[in-house]
Amino acid sequence: MLETPRPTLLSSCAMAATAAEARFRVPYPNSRDRASRIFALDQGAAEAMYRITEDPWHGAHFLTVAPGAEGLDPEAAKADAVPLTKPDGSPAKLSDEVAGADVVVLLASAGTNEGAAEVIAREAWKQHTMIAALALAGGRDGKAVDRVVNALRPLATVLVVARDDDFIPAMLTALRA
Amino acid sequence: MLRKEVNDLLTETNAGAPMGEMFRQYWVPALLARELPEDDCPPVRVKLLGERLIAIRDSKGRFGLMDEFCAHRGVSLWFGRNEEGGLRCPYHGWKYDVTGQCIDVPSEPEESGFCQKVKLKGYPLVKIGDVLWTHMGDAENRPPQPGWEFATVPPEQTFTSKRWQECNWLQAMEGGIDSSHVSWLHSGSLTSDPLFKGAKGNKYNQADKKPVFEVVESDGGLYIGARRMAEEGHYYWRITPWVMPSFTMVPPRGDHPVHGHFWIPIDDENAWAWSFDYHPTRALTKEERQAMMDGYGVHNQYVPGTYRPRQNKDNDYLMDREAQKRGETYSGIWGIAMQDASLQESMGPIVDRSKENLVSTDNGIIMARHRLRKAAEALRDKGVAPPGRVVEHQQVRSAAKVLPPDQPFKEAMKDDLRVRPGVKQTSV
Repeated sequence: MLETPRPTLLSSCAMAATAAEARFRVPYPNSRDRASRIFALDQGAAEAMYRITEDPWHGAHFLTVAPGAEGLDPEAAKADAVPLTKPDGSPAKLSDEVAGADVVVLLASAGTNEGAAEVIAREAWKQHTMIAALALAGGRDGKAVDRVVNALRPLATVLVVARDDDFIPAMLTALRA
Repeated sequence: MLRKEVNDLLTETNAGAPMGEMFRQYWVPALLARELPEDDCPPVRVKLLGERLIAIRDSKGRFGLMDEFCAHRGVSLWFGRNEEGGLRCPYHGWKYDVTGQCIDVPSEPEESGFCQKVKLKGYPLVKIGDVLWTHMGDAENRPPQPGWEFATVPPEQTFTSKRWQECNWLQAMEGGIDSSHVSWLHSGSLTSDPLFKGAKGNKYNQADKKPVFEVVESDGGLYIGARRMAEEGHYYWRITPWVMPSFTMVPPRGDHPVHGHFWIPIDDENAWAWSFDYHPTRALTKEERQAMMDGYGVHNQYVPGTYRPRQNKDNDYLMDREAQKRGETYSGIWGIAMQDASLQESMGPIVDRSKENLVSTDNGIIMARHRLRKAAEALRDKGVAPPGRVVEHQQVRSAAKVLPPDQPFKEAMKDDLRVRPGVKQTSV
């Protein structure tokens, strides 16, 4: 009969949990850079996002849904029909951006461009990519926030309603974007 | 991931540290009322926020919390005689009242007034519910006394315990707002723990291990909603309130009492995990109270005569690999409280958050850290009082409910998430 394995040392948890033992935790990295794709769905979200795009991120791509996406029919639109721009103003293709992404973050302040948001989310689902959504509520009236939240709810695995735009860098830093 | 300087800011709570000063803005639980059961009972050592203190109940039933050490030669007043309206040091007879004011120095002429020049640092200690609360900040900036529902319902409706947790307060508290671990770590307990089992909601928890989260800021902190699939396309929502700095509640199950916690720093490497259970509208049954005393639910068993859990790191938490294999417990550790504490203590005294890899479902934790940081910095830099000090912010409840898919919990459960005297908790 197989004997129940015992800890190598008596009271191993007591010793292992000390500050002294913490010094021996292996120093090697335990993850690789993530591919984070952040999409600002409207002008307000884009303005909040552009305030932080120059920060030192780890491979995050910041993208804005450009004018022309209003009224996009998600049923009919293909992925690359969503007009996207990079911070330098150059265009980006949704299919390229989402391919290989680890997380898609949707930022919204107005509840507009719902069709574009749905197409982005659909593309992320196809790639089995996690979707987090951040509704920026600061300084906006309750109805506007409800509109944003209702638009984002069906799309995201995690939905955060934040009162301050400075939660954007806090969240992206925490997620190693 | 947190940078080291932010981790330090959030985890260090001694006087002068930003988070230490923030904790000193609140009334915090200091002792169980039953630790000072009668007038002139033995004094009790208390360590809070890195300060060594002594608690007494004097001859007139007045409570006090003061510096543990006699101003004369530094003797611990734990050895003192608590009698005739104060605590007398046994070494040379110096005596202190509940405020820490020295009221007798036998070697000095009474007329000299010398003793009036001696005062130990003292803090107020008030009894509300089963708990003695203290405020360790400036008296002129003292908030209203605590108004938490668990502490203000009639005594027969509530039960509170505390246990020593051997790690920093923040990693303990973060477990209280980490809704996604329940379907894993506590999965065995949902069917066996007398204070959890039998609720319909448990089935939703067990059937859907990939909840969807919604994190919404409240005036006092956060509401963290976790939704799982229920019947006919409906969602089973469980809402966890967090009130700054360290109050959390567990969403209820069936008609079981509602549980929650306070996570209070003892020092930077130890914390008190306060655990309460109450029912808003009825007395706890004899069986429920006994189960709590026996360590079920969010409570625990003790090393006799102490508040140290019976399962602790010195005995490897009585790890039972066979029970783990049989599926009785997911981690091999008995009891919900110690299932959490064992893992949190295994992170080390203060976890190095620069090495963690959070994912988007950790956004409740991310937002809580963000709000704590902002509040601590606003207090430090601008003197802004943090949220959670006023009774209005404390009038929260956890709740569980099945909702149609198009109803946001913040609106549909607005009333369920507030204290409503005489109305029972919203639960499934």
